[in-house]
Amino acid sequence: MTTDPAPRLVFEGVAKGFFGVPVLRGIDITIAPGEVVGLVGENGAGKSTLMNILGGVLAPDAGTMRLDGVPYAPNNPIDAGRAGVVFVHQELNLFPNLSIQDNLFITDFPKAAVPTFISPGKARRRARDLLARIGLDRDPRTTVDLLSPGERQQLEIAKSLSGEPRVVIFDEPTTSLTARETKRLFALIRELTQEGASVIYISHILADVLDLCDQIVVLRDGSLVDAGPRQSFSISTMISRMVGRDLDRLYPERHAQPTEEVVLDVRGLSEPGTIQDVTFQVRAGEVVGVFGLMGAGRSEMARIVFGLDRHKSGQVLVKGVERPKADPRSRINAGMGFVTEDRRNEGLLMDSSVTSNIGLAVLPRFATALGLVRTAALRVAALDSSKKLNLKSSRPDRQPVRSLSGGNQQKAVIAKWLLTKPEILILDEPTRGIDVGAKHEVYTVIDELARMRTAVLMISSELPELMNTCDRILVMRRGEVEGEFAASEFDETMILAAAFGQSGAASDRGPAVSAGASVPGEVA
Amino acid sequence: MLHVRLNRNELGLVLLRNMPLVLLAVVFLSFSLLDHRFFDVQTLVNIARQASYVGILAVGMTFVLLTAGIDLSVGAVAYLAAVLVSELLKHTPLPVVALPLVMIAIGVGAGMLSGSITAFARITPFIVTLAGMSIYRGYALGVSQSREANFPIGLTDLGNLPIFGVPLPIVIFMLVVVVAQLVLSRTAYGRQLYAVGQDPDAATRAGIPTRRVIVSVYVIAGALAGLAAFVAVIQMGTIVPSFGTGDEFDAIAAAVLGGASLFGGRGTVFPGTVAGTLLVQMIAVGMVFTQVDLYLTPMISAAVIFAAVLLDTLRTRQLAKISKRTIRVEPPSEPVLVTPAR
Amino acid sequence: MDTDSPPTQKPALDTKPRSATEAPRPLWRRFLDSDLFVLGLTMVVVVVVVPFTHGFLSPGNLLNVASNFWPLLLVVIGQTFVLIAGGIDLSQTAIMAFTSVFGAMLVATSASPALYAKSPFWGIFFNETGGILGSGIGVGAAWLVMLGLGALVGALNGMFVARVGMPPFMVTLTTTLFITAFTVWSTKSENILNLPPAYDWLATDWVAACIAVVIAVLAHVILSRSVYGQWLYSTGINARTAQVSGVPVRRVIVIAYLLSGMFTAMGAALYTARLGAGRPTLGANLLMDVIGAAVIGGVSLMGGRGRITGAALGVLFFVVLTNALNLMGLEFYTIMWIKGLVILIAVAVDTLRTRMESRA
Repeated sequence: MTTDPAPRLVFEGVAKGFFGVPVLRGIDITIAPGEVVGLVGENGAGKSTLMNILGGVLAPDAGTMRLDGVPYAPNNPIDAGRAGVVFVHQELNLFPNLSIQDNLFITDFPKAAVPTFISPGKARRRARDLLARIGLDRDPRTTVDLLSPGERQQLEIAKSLSGEPRVVIFDEPTTSLTARETKRLFALIRELTQEGASVIYISHILADVLDLCDQIVVLRDGSLVDAGPRQSFSISTMISRMVGRDLDRLYPERHAQPTEEVVLDVRGLSEPGTIQDVTFQVRAGEVVGVFGLMGAGRSEMARIVFGLDRHKSGQVLVKGVERPKADPRSRINAGMGFVTEDRRNEGLLMDSSVTSNIGLAVLPRFATALGLVRTAALRVAALDSSKKLNLKSSRPDRQPVRSLSGGNQQKAVIAKWLLTKPEILILDEPTRGIDVGAKHEVYTVIDELARMRTAVLMISSELPELMNTCDRILVMRRGEVEGEFAASEFDETMILAAAFGQSGAASDRGPAVSAGASVPGEVA
Repeated sequence: MLHVRLNRNELGLVLLRNMPLVLLAVVFLSFSLLDHRFFDVQTLVNIARQASYVGILAVGMTFVLLTAGIDLSVGAVAYLAAVLVSELLKHTPLPVVALPLVMIAIGVGAGMLSGSITAFARITPFIVTLAGMSIYRGYALGVSQSREANFPIGLTDLGNLPIFGVPLPIVIFMLVVVVAQLVLSRTAYGRQLYAVGQDPDAATRAGIPTRRVIVSVYVIAGALAGLAAFVAVIQMGTIVPSFGTGDEFDAIAAAVLGGASLFGGRGTVFPGTVAGTLLVQMIAVGMVFTQVDLYLTPMISAAVIFAAVLLDTLRTRQLAKISKRTIRVEPPSEPVLVTPAR
Repeated sequence: MDTDSPPTQKPALDTKPRSATEAPRPLWRRFLDSDLFVLGLTMVVVVVVVPFTHGFLSPGNLLNVASNFWPLLLVVIGQTFVLIAGGIDLSQTAIMAFTSVFGAMLVATSASPALYAKSPFWGIFFNETGGILGSGIGVGAAWLVMLGLGALVGALNGMFVARVGMPPFMVTLTTTLFITAFTVWSTKSENILNLPPAYDWLATDWVAACIAVVIAVLAHVILSRSVYGQWLYSTGINARTAQVSGVPVRRVIVIAYLLSGMFTAMGAALYTARLGAGRPTLGANLLMDVIGAAVIGGVSLMGGRGRITGAALGVLFFVVLTNALNLMGLEFYTIMWIKGLVILIAVAVDTLRTRMESRA
């Protein structure tokens, strides 16, 4: 609201970096009691990090926070909870094997008359009250594994209501909710503010943010680029604030030219609850980017295309031949490679040597007739591959990959796939968490691959990166392909708008508009 | 539409949850068909009485399984408790009431050891309790000199002592079941057990003292092993050196057949483990009745345990698949016309 | 249990900077990890024991130690494969008994009906005149049958672990129960006597030594140099990464268990030859020795680590330890708990070492 003598929450110069890479740069925000503040920005803008600091999950590198005038520096989420700061996460923290009421009160059960016993009756009644506030109409004795994703999300929200919170953070609370459930949530938020709590609301459904919030804060690249009362914003202004980055990153010149030959043909790929009717092609020598916000289903789609996960219907054709479901080896044999999003857990053997990691996917190709590995040849090939990426390792045979920097680790993963001489390479967030120099090297390699007629599919949350490296960009939203942009049509604002749902309006909760639209969306 | 989809899942889960009772009925009827004499109240009473010992072990095992752990040493701990008390009684007479208490205490000590090593050194429970099995039994055999352990005559009278018409061993078993089930369903600790077994990291994040919880279940398993030994002693009077060998498997079979999962987070003492225990015992008695070759009975037992673990694995994987849904992609299935889910 | 990573749900950024070269590990750590440490432990045992016993160092005793060494080595080699894959094979003792009995049954020179008529396989695999394979070349065939049976059981174990997803310790424990019962049933608890003289050949020390050494070298080559070996290690280290990288994880696991069963059968043949009979109780007390030898030898229970050289030294340690404890006149039960304690300590060290490495 307007000037209030005693602000509820103040951020002063809060900054955070992860070893040389700044993620938050000096954030100053003031929140009044009973105010709803909308926090918007792209993936990687710093919203989650800021809220993790507020919620006691991370500690800031610099800056302070004050809660009701008193310095506030929680050591862990439990401290934060005791101080009245409740964080309703996007990822659910529920126990599906327990009932709704058990989940709500797992550390705080209502007691029975007999000491050490709890009263299920009281728990049920209290649970009913909480559920009623959120509009979840279920018997509290139901086990959570029977709830739909939307109901689980509502339960996660209900968990936050059981105390008397002073600040409630909602991180993307409506991704699984229906229109009715969302309305109920908003009513709840208004009740909370009437009771004096302040609310921080993070969402990519910009119409909701405009509808609900008193103050809007826009983050971009870790900095606060704009903050002000709701009236001073519109959806288009929000989007344009999120956009427009300093071009301090150099992208290599592109030499590759896409050909006409379709190498990867995805038709109508669907898996209920995950993706729906995904259709696209990638040609030899073409670099196709996949953009979208968190939760759009991009990684899930990639995993299904590569065969790590099953799908219900649709086809994946590599060089015209349909591949069996959920069979990564057939994909690899057909010439597909996959640089996964989670390099530490799925891309690398952290404690093994650089050479072992790089050689992992091509062992059979370097074997003698007896099945022994031609170690010398493999080592040379691995070194060769690392050189292409400028991967620096003093003793690649001995040095465990864990000791490499993030950038070099990512290069090791890419080097591994380079050795397989892939015809199709899927990369999921290949430059996440690596330094600028390494990023440049990755882009160079991608261009080289494309020049050698590899088809490249690159998932990324950094739009400028995609715009500077791709021939085409697909935009995914809520599991569907929302739009497709050719290089000549690249426009940051329009692509972002498509990712937010054309106009970011409430209409994105209705049935999917113009399925697979290939015309750039309009901004309302 | 949402409503119907859930009902089908719900129904399947309800059936799965009551599987032990269903199996119990099926097995009882099957054996009765094979031999009419089986179909008798006295049969059931015999089954119940023999089941008391394994049942008490199985209740302890249930607690451990709930946390996704395992205790392979309970048979050895039972033997240890019996042997130590037998020795003790040779030197100092004790009132009868003290016997179960001392045996429970011994079990608590052993459980504390196993549990602490598992929780704090974070070594996987099967190897800790496998080593424990050797250590406890080896030490106990040293005390008993690998000979029979004797108890004062007259102790076996307790084995038949009727309390309101019900033999004492069964009464003890029932008490254990009642207390255990109450703890599981009516205390914060009990509910937290399920949380720890389902997701120890989430449990820690929620503020549950996960490591203490893990130690506690091994203590409980040990304590109940001691009590189970008492129940065995009052029925048998003499303890042979091989006493308790292999009983941990019966306990595991009983618990898993009763619905507890090796992967943690699932199971009840009543009706689950009780039904599982009766089932295991019924199969054993039934095989005697139908005069199955004594050499074949352990194979059948092994097959039963295997089937239990197989079912548990399949069910756990099925449940994991159902929980994988993330985004809702279909248009919200609540147009104005449909009444909300109830 | 607890995670080592920072408490954010998915650390998007790499939070640990590393220099391009690693700092040299402290000397004591390197010593602890090395095979020398195990050898050192063995020496300690010898030094401690010699004053307390008679004849530990006598040629007869040393020969005894050696002849215990070869068969155990074979079994532990099998366990090593499974452990590296991240599993465990607790059914080796049962496989030993199973293959021992059936191998003997097939080639016994004669069988007294008084003892064996009740066996369900009487008349099928053996009768009064002996086993159906005869006692000449048939012995070789019997050994092959043993290997086949061991491989079969191993493959079954592996399939339940890899395809169905059942916990390895539970699968192999249950298999043990079943197979032990089956074996005892097959002979109605009797030992199969009257092995043909050809079988004794395996009891000769240099023969046993040669077989064990050849297998050990073969296993070492497979583990350290073959494609399968690399696949095996990567599966044990991180099965997800392995799968994404095209390793046929399920096949790798099944083969590991299959090899374990097969090598166990080989060890059983050696033991059977020395004992001169097919025994349904063969190996009953060996489980602790096998696992202990592997763990002390540096083969981690958590998978992804271990070598044949280390395992062999672990076997040496356990064979020497057992021999020493026996010579000291200790009862079997005392030896039981001492071994249990040794294993516990070995596993604790193994766990500590693995976690320290992940943190480093």
